[in-house]
Amino acid sequence: MKRILVLALRDLRIEFRGRSGLLSALFFLGVVLLILGFALGPEENDLRRAAPGVLWVALAFAGSLLAGRVWAVEVENGTLDDLLLTPGSREWIYWGKFLFLWVLLLLVALVLLFMVAGMFYLPLDRAPGLFLTLILGATGYAAVATFYAGIVVRLSTAQLVLPILVFTVVVPVILAAVRATVGLAEGAAMAEVASWWKFLAAFDLIYLTACSLLFPFVIEG
Amino acid sequence: MTLIELENVWKRYGREWVLRDISLSVDAGEVVALLGPNGVGKTTLLRVAATLTRPQKGTVRLFGKPARRIDAERGELLYLANPPAFYRHLSGEENLQSSLQLMGKPVLDGEIEAAMRAVGLAPGKPVSAYSSGMKKRLTMARIRLLKPKVLLLDEPETALDAEGREMLLALIDEVKRGGAVLLATHDREFARAVADREVVMRP
Amino acid sequence: MEPKRAKQRLDPLTQGLLWVGFLTLAAGLFFALKAPPDVQQGYLVRILYLHVAAAWTGYLAFIVAGVYALLYLVREDPRFDRLSAASAEIGLWLSLLMVLGGMMWARPTWGVYWVWEPRLTSVAVMVAIYAAYFLLRQAIEDPEMRAKAAAGVAILGVINIPITYMSVYWWRSIHQTASIDIINRRVNMAPEMVTALLVNLLAFTLIYLGFLRLKGMLAEMGAREEEQSG
Repeated sequence: MKRILVLALRDLRIEFRGRSGLLSALFFLGVVLLILGFALGPEENDLRRAAPGVLWVALAFAGSLLAGRVWAVEVENGTLDDLLLTPGSREWIYWGKFLFLWVLLLLVALVLLFMVAGMFYLPLDRAPGLFLTLILGATGYAAVATFYAGIVVRLSTAQLVLPILVFTVVVPVILAAVRATVGLAEGAAMAEVASWWKFLAAFDLIYLTACSLLFPFVIEG
Repeated sequence: MTLIELENVWKRYGREWVLRDISLSVDAGEVVALLGPNGVGKTTLLRVAATLTRPQKGTVRLFGKPARRIDAERGELLYLANPPAFYRHLSGEENLQSSLQLMGKPVLDGEIEAAMRAVGLAPGKPVSAYSSGMKKRLTMARIRLLKPKVLLLDEPETALDAEGREMLLALIDEVKRGGAVLLATHDREFARAVADREVVMRP
Repeated sequence: MEPKRAKQRLDPLTQGLLWVGFLTLAAGLFFALKAPPDVQQGYLVRILYLHVAAAWTGYLAFIVAGVYALLYLVREDPRFDRLSAASAEIGLWLSLLMVLGGMMWARPTWGVYWVWEPRLTSVAVMVAIYAAYFLLRQAIEDPEMRAKAAAGVAILGVINIPITYMSVYWWRSIHQTASIDIINRRVNMAPEMVTALLVNLLAFTLIYLGFLRLKGMLAEMGAREEEQSG
């Protein structure tokens, strides 16, 4: 348990000192939003209708950049071997890396939420619901992305293969999260939105369990 | 007691066999040096012994147990690659601290700083500002702190100055008391000075 | 000399599965043409015999691929990896067949080849997952790494299938209610139609098993050749 936190905090510290990953993800988001804005705008109603989709598509793209960072720090520094040679079962490595990616994703998602609110007029009056949707969505995304990023870590084409692997499995997350966001934005009944949250929570639970159990077998060595 | 034991090990990458039928054992209290030209498989042999890659054929035993079964024992095993692996954005002491914590070892007050001073390093600088010799010294601090029973070293003497080499020799001598050391090197003189046994690998 | 011979002759079980499978398929076709047209859909319903059979065996193939992947991770026997890959490949072809059949049926029935409806969307996702599976296999050269990574994808992929299936119940849907409702144990068809469907299902399953054995054997010979030349 303690090692999970040590690993996640250490990676966050490295990421904030290096800054390269987080900054490029944020810049990338800005560019994606600009392009989508040009493509869908300038009619306010069109933008408002597209906002939930824009939010999650942009987050999925930025997430695939961040997912590469999860293990890149070990590969760049040659420290993956040290991590694999630590005593005990390797599940905690998965949880530590998951936690790292989860925090990064939530930070980016928060910035993104305000950007979409500003540029695409996404109403923020049900903000707590939106936060919950972001948390549930980011959990599912990070669960799958951490796992797949670990599988392809030493592959030279990792940055190409990873998005394909991650996007295909997280489609249900994106779908459900978009529906929940649409519901929140358009003032749907709480029960309807809650059913999407339940779906997201179920997905998160299933994939976190499966990925953490499989991870020690799948990581090399 | 035999701490490292390889029996009829075959390992290939893709179609290329790198290790063909290698058998080797290192007892506690013994230092074995691997010599041989580039590309003969010294690093691969070390990685197989470290359980980082699995051979296609043959058995590897560590601490008297099949390599696949060791678990808690990995805390007593240290493999140091060449060039040394550290997080560039962290300082020397942060690197050592993270390594100790992830190995599940307690971190005592002042212990890390003492280990760094013992190898002639001043705390505070990020590893990205280290020279390759300083990184080698930092790996020596890791050996001091982790006190491994099985120590696997890939070209530990490179990039070190005369003083650093003396430190390394003394340190390996210390690990040897009760532990086994297997190292790969190109330096015959160093091998003669440090090793009880030399193993020459041929292509 | 021994491996050369194996190349020319299949073992009796594989041969039997394929022969009986194709014969059953012919019978299935006969029953399908003999079955009465549907009250609402008319003769068009006949596409469904193939569509549903392909769908079921496709799912079966992906489940088998997942089970073999899990076995590989536990036992690390390369045979399981080969069988997993073989099953996933057949599953992918069957799924494509299912999608194609579905489109041919959908055009006259719904007026379009494709709708963005949950079950269709999730089937598209499933096909994409297994296409990605083969992309990944191509990208990794080291056999052990390839097998482990592929096993991870195959297992996560198979977890996705119940989510796919349940999506029919979780989302509101314009798709046909499943022809044989497992959850409520009801059969919504005329008895002749059920016979035709079951015979086709049996045929597809037998052919699938035959091809699985065949592809597994071919992959094993390929691996052996690679080892000898290396």
